[in-house]
Amino acid sequence: MDTTNISSSPIHTASYSDAVVDSGVSPVDAGPKRRRTDFHLDGAPPPPPPPPRLLDYEPIIGQAVLDELRYLAEALQGKSVKMVNSTAMGGGVAEMLNSLVPLIVELGVVTHWDVITGDNDFFEITKAFHNALHGGEYHLTRKTQEIFLQTNEQNRKRMQFDEDVIVIHDPQPAAMIDGRDARDSKWVWRCHIDLSNPNPEVWSFLKPMVERFDAAIFSSQSFAQRLSVPQYLFYPCIDALSEKNKEIDESYIQQICDDYGIDRSRPVVTQISRFDRLKDPLGVVKAYQMAKKYVDLQLVLAGGSASDDPEGAQVLAEVEDAAANDPDIFILNLPPWSGLQINALQRASTIIVQKSLREGFGLTVTEALWKSKPTVASAVGGIPNQVIHKLTGVLVHSVEGCAYQIRYLLTHPDHARQLGKNGHEHVKENFLMTTNVKRWLLLLRFLLKAKGK
Amino acid sequence: MNESANLDQREAKKPFYFNTSASLLRIGQEKATTLSELLHALHTCSSDSIFQHTFRTLQEHHFIREGFSNDFAHWAFSACNEPGLAERLASLDVREYTDVGDIRQKIEEIVAGYIEANPASGERRSREPFYFCASETVVLPTPFVAHSMQQFVEDLSRVSLHSIHHHFIEARLRLKLNSNDFSQWLQEEDLPEAAAKLNRIDIYTATLEDVRRQIILVVKRALV
Repeated sequence: MDTTNISSSPIHTASYSDAVVDSGVSPVDAGPKRRRTDFHLDGAPPPPPPPPRLLDYEPIIGQAVLDELRYLAEALQGKSVKMVNSTAMGGGVAEMLNSLVPLIVELGVVTHWDVITGDNDFFEITKAFHNALHGGEYHLTRKTQEIFLQTNEQNRKRMQFDEDVIVIHDPQPAAMIDGRDARDSKWVWRCHIDLSNPNPEVWSFLKPMVERFDAAIFSSQSFAQRLSVPQYLFYPCIDALSEKNKEIDESYIQQICDDYGIDRSRPVVTQISRFDRLKDPLGVVKAYQMAKKYVDLQLVLAGGSASDDPEGAQVLAEVEDAAANDPDIFILNLPPWSGLQINALQRASTIIVQKSLREGFGLTVTEALWKSKPTVASAVGGIPNQVIHKLTGVLVHSVEGCAYQIRYLLTHPDHARQLGKNGHEHVKENFLMTTNVKRWLLLLRFLLKAKGK
Repeated sequence: MNESANLDQREAKKPFYFNTSASLLRIGQEKATTLSELLHALHTCSSDSIFQHTFRTLQEHHFIREGFSNDFAHWAFSACNEPGLAERLASLDVREYTDVGDIRQKIEEIVAGYIEANPASGERRSREPFYFCASETVVLPTPFVAHSMQQFVEDLSRVSLHSIHHHFIEARLRLKLNSNDFSQWLQEEDLPEAAAKLNRIDIYTATLEDVRRQIILVVKRALV
C-alpha cells in the first residue's frame, strides 16, 4: 500500500488497515502540509441550548424504555424534591442537574433546585475540603469548622425544606442536615467525589453529618465508606443530547478537522483532557511515538484552557516540548464552551485514549464509548467500570501497554469495531442521563415507600 | 407482506401480560481483596447480593456475547489472574437454579475447591477489590398485553430488553421452576415443543437482543 496515495486521497474517514506504514515511505514526508501549533477558540460562551424533553430521547433509548420511566414515575406524582448544591453554573454537578431536573419535573415530580451562597473564605475552605477528601494533606482548625458550619447555618435559615425528599450534593452543603426537623421528609447525601482515601481529619468532621442522612449515594463502589446508612451506586452519566454528545453532521466534523489541519485519511488517536499531570499527556506523547515506529497515525491532545492554572500552563509547555516539531501532533487548547468541537474531534478519531494516572469516574471515556470509539484507557478510578478489558475497550497500566494497544487496534479493525460497538451499548444501558433519571425515580420510590398503580 | 400475517390468528386462552423490572444498586458492606475473603463474604452477604452479581449483571452486560457470565468469574479473571477459577465460575448457568441460596452454595463450593487445590491463591491480593452490591428491584407493568400468538410475537419485538430479561431469565426464581414465563405460557397455549426449545437458547453466547430474535423465531416456526 502506498501511503502517498492515501494522504492525497479525498477519503475523509481513516481506514484502520491504512495504519500500517509501508516500508520506505515516511508518513511525515508523505502527508499534506499540516499546521501544528496551539489553536484557540476565542469569544464569549454561547447561551446554553434549551434542555431536551423526554420525547427527544425516544430515538436513542426506545419507546419501551421511556415508558418504563413513566411507569416508575406514576407512584411519585405530586411528590416533591429539593436539590441543593454549591454552584448553578460550571462544574459537572451543575451540568448534570441542568439536564436531570427538567426531566424529573416532566415526569411529574415537583423539583426545586437551590444553590448555597458563601463568601470567599467559605469556598476556600470547601475547596481545601475537596482536595483533602481526595487524599490531600490538610489540618482542620476550629476556625475553619466554624466558618463552614456558620455558612451552612445561614443558608439553612434562608431555605425552606418542605419537600418530601431533600438531596444535598457534595460536602459544601452537608451541614444543611441540621435543617432536618420532625417532618417525615427524607434526606439524601449525593457525593460526587472520590472518597476512597479521604483525609481522616476532614472525613471525621463530615462523617457524623453524613450518618444523619437517610441514604448516601456514591459514583463508584470504591468511593463508598463504612457508614451506618444505606449507600447506593449512581454512576455518573452523560447526556446523549448535549453539545458534547449529540449526533453531528459529517460536514461539521470535516470542517473542524480542516480548521486544525487534521488529515482524516490517516488514523487519528485522541486524548481529550485538560493539561494536567494526572491525565499524563506526556505519557500519551511517548505512547504515540512508540506506536509510530510501526503504524502511521496522528495524535490530537485537546483540553481545557490552562490560563488559570500555573501548573497546567507548565504541563502544556512540556507537552509542546515533547511534541517537538512533529507535524502529526495537534495540541489544542480549547475554552470550556467547546463541547461541539470536542464532539467533532472525538467522532473524527480512530481511537480514543485516556491514559490518566488518577481519575474520578472519567466521563471523557464515557463520551468516547458512546461514540462507538475503540478506547484505550488506564485501569484507574471509575474507568474499569466502563472499560471492561477486551470487551468494551482495553485497559492499560503503562506507556508501553498503551503504545501496544494503539498498534494492535489500528491493525485489527474488526476487533476495534466490536469493542466500539460494545462500548456504545454499555453506555446506553448504564451511563446515560435517562438511566440516571431511572435511578432517581427508583430511589424516591424506595425512600417514600411509594407503590405503583 | 407482513411476516406475522401468516401466524396463528387464534385468541390466546389467557393473555400474556408483559411486565418489566428496574433495579437500584445498593453498595454492600462486604468487600474482598483475596479469594479467601471472597469465600467468607460469599457466605455472609445477602441473597440480593448474589442475585445482583449473577442474574442482574447479565442484564447490565446484555450486549456482550463472550467472556462475561457473572461478576465473580470476571473478577477472578481480571483482578486475581486466576483463569482456571474464572472458567469454572463462568460455567455456572443461572438458569439451572430456581433459588438464590443454591447458586450461593455452588459458587462457594467452586471457590472453596479451588483454594483447597491451590492454597497459595487463597491469600494472594487481587489487583482490585471485589465490592459486594445488591439489587433493590421493582416490577413494573408495560402497555403490552398479548391476546393472540400474532400479538405475542409483535409485542416481543417491541418490549424493552429489561422485560425480556425479567420474563426469560429472572422468572425462574419467581416460578421456582427450570423454566421461564414465555415457556410456561406457550405450554398452556398447547405449544409444548416451542416451550421446550426456548429453554435451550444459550444466553451466555448471545446478546439479549440475539435472545429476543431467537425467541421470536422459535415461536414463529411453531405457528407456521
